[in-house]
This record gives sequence, structure tokens and C-alpha cells, in this order.
Amino acid sequence: MDILNLLLQGVSVSIIPANLLSCIIGVLIGTLVGVLPGIDTVSAIALLLPFSYGMDSTAALIMFAGIYYGSKYGGSTTSILINVPGEAASVVTCLDGYPMGQKGRAGAALAISAIGSFIAGTIGLIGLTLLAPPLAQAALAFGPPEYFSLALVGLILLSKLTGTSTLKSALMAVIGIILSTIGLDSLSGISRFTFGIDELDRGFDLSIIAMGLFGIGEILTAMTHADAKPDIPTVKFRDLYPTKEEWQRSITPMFRGGIVGFLVGLLPGPAATISSFISYGLEKRCSKHPEEFGHGAIEGVAGPESANNSAISATMIPLMSLGLPFCGATAILLSGFMIHGITPGPSLITERPELFWGLIASMYIGNVLLLIINLPLIGVFVQLLKTPLNILMPLVAVVTLTGAYSINNSIFDLIWVIFFGILGFLLQRVGFEPSPLIIGLVLGPELERGLTQGLIICNGDIWAFITRPLAATILSLGAIVILYNFVTWVTKLNNKRKELNVN
Amino acid sequence: MRRKTLLSVFTCLLVLSIIVGGCTSMENKAIPATSKYPDKPITLIVPFGVGGGTDLVARLLEKNALKYLGQPLVIVNKPGGAGTIGWNEVAGSSDGYTLGMTGVEIILQPLYGQTKYHYLTALDPLAQIAELSIVMVVQDTQPWKDLDELIQYAKKKPGEIKFGHGGMGTTGHVTGEMLAKSADIRLEQVPFQGSAEATASLLGGHIQVLFTNPASVKEHVKNGTVRILAVASEHRLKDPVFANAPTFKEQGLDVVCSSWHGIAAPKDLPVEVKNKLAKGFEAIINDPEFQKNIENLGFEFSYLGPKESQEKWLTENQKLSKTVQATGILDLIKTQKK
Repeated sequence: MDILNLLLQGVSVSIIPANLLSCIIGVLIGTLVGVLPGIDTVSAIALLLPFSYGMDSTAALIMFAGIYYGSKYGGSTTSILINVPGEAASVVTCLDGYPMGQKGRAGAALAISAIGSFIAGTIGLIGLTLLAPPLAQAALAFGPPEYFSLALVGLILLSKLTGTSTLKSALMAVIGIILSTIGLDSLSGISRFTFGIDELDRGFDLSIIAMGLFGIGEILTAMTHADAKPDIPTVKFRDLYPTKEEWQRSITPMFRGGIVGFLVGLLPGPAATISSFISYGLEKRCSKHPEEFGHGAIEGVAGPESANNSAISATMIPLMSLGLPFCGATAILLSGFMIHGITPGPSLITERPELFWGLIASMYIGNVLLLIINLPLIGVFVQLLKTPLNILMPLVAVVTLTGAYSINNSIFDLIWVIFFGILGFLLQRVGFEPSPLIIGLVLGPELERGLTQGLIICNGDIWAFITRPLAATILSLGAIVILYNFVTWVTKLNNKRKELNVN
Repeated sequence: MRRKTLLSVFTCLLVLSIIVGGCTSMENKAIPATSKYPDKPITLIVPFGVGGGTDLVARLLEKNALKYLGQPLVIVNKPGGAGTIGWNEVAGSSDGYTLGMTGVEIILQPLYGQTKYHYLTALDPLAQIAELSIVMVVQDTQPWKDLDELIQYAKKKPGEIKFGHGGMGTTGHVTGEMLAKSADIRLEQVPFQGSAEATASLLGGHIQVLFTNPASVKEHVKNGTVRILAVASEHRLKDPVFANAPTFKEQGLDVVCSSWHGIAAPKDLPVEVKNKLAKGFEAIINDPEFQKNIENLGFEFSYLGPKESQEKWLTENQKLSKTVQATGILDLIKTQKK
């Protein structure tokens, strides 16, 4: 077992006191970054880069990696407690995590998401340990036509995440796609739909819209129930942790989420966010009680929170074995490597084995540390919900607005947060779900980019997409699912008609 | 009951709008007395996002600022509009404590369309810090061993070769179009979002040629999966990995294009203040450790003082405005802007 030996060497590197300490510091900062809305991984690492010059390179990288994967642990906390996603990848956790919190099961949701993060993070790490170079090569087979196919199928399958009306969901997804086209187009460098307003050039940041639709929207909704006395269940210690039934329902979604997240993480784009949505969609399809989703189904927390953590491990694969960062957070990690004179790439594993394996071993250790840090914190966080609404909600508003401002240092963004807050409030009143809008916003740019680039590569012939084996497979999978849905819909309709006739 | 609900929603909105309104800053005070300058921290605006190339260079400057400038630098990211949002703020400030990071985009953006200020006249350069050349690479499985073979192939099959770059109107794109123009061949361009995605597409064989900065392909050139055909700079690169790669000029084609990073101040600062700042930055930039860090990040260290930077701005402006017109990039962007 060559790899086992190397990994053991890595462990010996990572338990040197200095390295262990930087791992602890990294995951602590990461947890904090995840919990606080608006502060993202990229800015946290960028702010700390200058302080790392004096550090040993291995220790510095262990710390930066710790911030990166640690931030996805804490992201779910605010989603579950106050409906404000702490990280873009935890938007989907609002859908079921917050309702769980409202039912007094916040502790269980937090515990499941911490344990799921641990399990899936470890799954991702095992993949990273065993398969990094071959998987990186396999991911390269995906070109623009394949991204287009993935985004298209994803949009069709995911747009109806919650709610009952397909039409309403589709409408929201389309609005999301339209919103995603606003701003400076990343490919053509052209400002679109900005009406000459410079600030619109930046486009809509996912976090800004999510903070508005979910966070501020929830505050406004809570205001309308101002008369109701907040019914705070007294939480016993036993209630902090999941029941046996909740456990049984969560364990498969954790593993499924872990695998889904890992696969999505290999591809360019906001992998952690996309993987959490895919996992949610998958869980709803696999679940025996899909009607519970959106009202506090524990699978809806377990799956996505696991997926985004294993996606993180997977995004390290193209970074470390090809030197290619596929998202903002890995790009800043790459800078962290380079500032210490290390260029990740195909030769990193052979040239600097002690660094590569030390880093991976530290990630195993960091995952355990995060679990140890997060579980006791649950008790503290749940206490927060005992705060009366008239005190809690203004605090939430301040935290949300401060977080939103810190993303781009822009007052303009605050106006949008409030605008989307009002929109979210109104949408909820008339029975529209905001989540398909977020999916449109995330997948819209991927869809457009894949199509534009793919068409140039295929000389403008869209049918050429089908001649590419990978793209064809993805598209036909999508077609089969649509056909299946259509057939079940028709048979259901027929059955109803028969029943009516019999009556 | 219903009225109460409405009232509470209304109050909440009022409070939110007061919070937002209260956040508007009170800036633009008078220009400082030069003898005491600087007597408070200096803001350095980075017109791009956190973690990008410009941002990293700015953060490297931060370290020795207190030592050489007498005051710390506060780095504020104002991303958006390909840099214009941040530069508009620098150009519009007159407090003397607002500087900005600059790049080749301050020349390119006004060429592509109307900007609020004409940056070349509204800003004064204090220093140039680093340069970033563009290299032309192909996958090693492609048949072309050198630039000439590729040009011959492209002449036989116009439009079949697709080249990738990190975004429309960026230096990678401009270099590709410059080559097509000066070698009189047709290459199809495929825009990507940043050099990492473009490099992945090259490695996967989805595009045949890539124009990018040396750092993003260095490891792949080293292990032989990517072959470098030409460098778009005046001289060969110093890095041993790229030292064998000939420039376009050596191969008889006038293709030279690079991006760079610098610092600029608003035009109307007193000369003494500008001189003081320029001197301070000269000391920071020429610190050996700073140089080493810049090179670690994959940039070529290249300090220019205020005067040389100003000259470079003007010559680059002339050259680039000719290039974007002649290659049709300007038409491409203008027709899309309509």
C-alpha cells in the first residue's frame, strides 16, 4: 500500500505542533467565516495572505485550506437559525433547515449538518487521496458543450424543488436566468441591461439576492405575525441532538450527497452551491415523503450540507494536480501556494510529496477538529432562538445588511438587498417559491457560457453537440427523465378520469 | 389587526432605509497641507475583486507601507465595470488620501466605450510595479511544432483553428487578433471566464491554441503536455522554463502585448504630495523581498517611475487604439454594445 505509506508520512508532517496549530487556527477562522453572512472565504484568505509571509509554507497552506473547508461547516448555522445563508453554498439549507428550527428541531438540524459535513468531507478526502490525478484528467474531457448539457438538464430537473405549481417554479427559474444576464458579460465584456448605471455592471451577486429573498423577506414575514406570542419551546439537552428516526432518515442522504458533491466539485463553476441544489433535488426524488420537503424534512438538510463539503475536497483535485483553480476560493488558494514559491501542477505530488500528503493528512485532521468544535456550539446557537422576536429580528437585519455591504463595499447593494427582501416577502404571500429563482441565477450563466463557447467550437452547429459522446449521454439522460415525468403525469391524469367516469 | 400589520411593515422598511441612508460617506475634503502629509492612513482602491491579480499586488504593497510612506495603506476593493467603478472613484476624489491600482484596462476601457473620466488625463501614474506577458501555447498532441507550421495550416484551412483567451477585449484576446492580422490568417476566438477555464479547455483538447499569461501554463510546459510557440514581448522571458521560447518578433511578426500593474493618483494633487508618494512607493517596490514575492506570483518585476509610466501610458494608448481598430476588436465590441 504505497498510498497508505505516503499518507502516514503526511500525518507525521501534519502533527508537527506548528502545523497542527495552524490547522486549528484555520478551521476556527473558517467556522467564523461560515457563520457570519457576507464574509466569504476569498476575502478571509486574501486578508490573511500578508500575515503568512513569515510562516513556514506547509503551515501557511494548511491554514488556508482549513479556512476553505471550515467555512462550509459553519455556513448552515445562520440558514437554520435565522434564514440568512452564511455562505452561497448554504442557500438551499434555508428551505428545510429554517422550518426545522421553527419546529424546535434546530439542534437536530445543526447536528445533522455537522455530522453530514464530516462524513461527506471524509468521503471527498478519500477520493482526493486515491484518485486525484486520474480524476483530474477525466474532468478535462468536459468541454463547453458538456457544461451546456449539464446546465440545461440541471435547470429542467431542479427548477421544481419545492412548491406545488410547475408553472410558478418555471416562471421563477426564468426570472432567475434573466437576472443573471444583467451586468458585464464575462465573455464579451459588454454591459447588458444596465441602463447606463455603472453599479449594475457588477451584476447580481448570489449572496445579495439570497440575503434579501430569504433573510430580509423572513423579517418582513415575521413582522406580519407581530401579534402572535413567540412560542419558544424549552429545549432539553436530549432534544439538541437528532432522534433515532431522524438519524435513520439522514444517513443515506449524507452518503448520496457526499458522492454527488464530489463529482460536481471536479467541474468548473460554483461547485459547492450547485452540488447542494443537485443533492436537494435528488433527495426529494428519492424520498418516500416528498411532500415534507420545504416544511422541515431532515433529508433536505442532510443531503445538501454533505454535498457542499465533499465538493470542497473535489475542487482541490484540479487545483493540486493541474494547477487550475475552477472557482474564486481555489484561485485565492492558488495565490497562497504561489506566494510561498510553490506552483501546484502535475509535478507537485512527485516534487513536494511531504507538502502534498501533509496537506491532505491535515484535512483529515481538520475535519475531525471541525466536528469537535461544531457539536458543542450547537447548544449555544440554539439558545439564540430563545431571544424574543422583537429583539432578534432587528439584530438579524443589522447582521444581514452589514454582511451585504461588506461583499462589494457598495451602498447600492444594500438597496438591492432590501428590494429583494420586499420581493421575497410579496412572493411568499402569493405562493411563489424563491428557490427556483436562485437556481436560474446560478445555472443561467453556465448555460449561456456553455452554449456560446460550444457553438464557436462546433462551428455554429448545435446538432454537433449530440455527436459528442459525453454531451449526448447527459442530454439523453435528461430527455429520459422528462419522458418519464410526462408518462407518469399522463397515467395519473387517465386514472383520475377513470375514477370520475366510474363515479 | 390588519392596520397594525401594515404599520409594522412600514416601520420596518423605514428603519431599513434609514440604515442604508446613514451609510453614505462624507468624503471629498480639502487637499491636505503638504508639509504634514500624510497624517492619516492612505486608501488604495483596487478596482477588481478580492483575490485577483491586481488585489494580490496591492496586498503585497501593504506590508512595508508604514515604513516607507509613514502611514499604513488601507486596501478597499471596488469591483465592477471592468475596473471603471473603482477608477471613477479615484479620479473623482480630491482628499489626497485616495489612490488606485491601475492596469492596462485604464487604456483599453476608454477605447471600447465612453467612460465617466478619461483616465489617462484624469489620473497621474506614481509607479509601475509588474508586467505580465502573453504566451501562445498549443497542446503537445497537435501537429504544429512551431509558429510557422501553424500559420501554414491556418492558411490552408482558414477558421478551423480556435484560440481561447480569458475574456473579450483582454490582452490575451488582443494578442490573438494581432497575430491573425499580422500573419494574415483567420483564427476563431473562444472567450472564457478567466485563464484557468481556458487552460482546462486547451488541456482537454476542446480548443487548439491558447493565449494566456505564463504563470497559468508554466507547470504544463514543464511536464510537456503543452508546447509554447511564441512569446508576445520585446525580449525572451527570464524564467528558465520559458527561456527557449522565441518571441513573435524573432519570428518576423510584430506582435507585442502585455498587461501590467501600477499605482496612480488623481491629477489635481499638489506636486509635492505626488512626489512624496512616488518616492515612498519606489522604496516599497524596490525592496528585494517585495520583488521576490512578485516573481513568486508569476509576474515579471518591472518598476517604472512616474515619468516613465506616463510615457508608457501614452505610447501604449497609441499602439493599442491602432490595434483594436485594425484587428476589428473595436467593431466587434461596439456592435455588441449597441
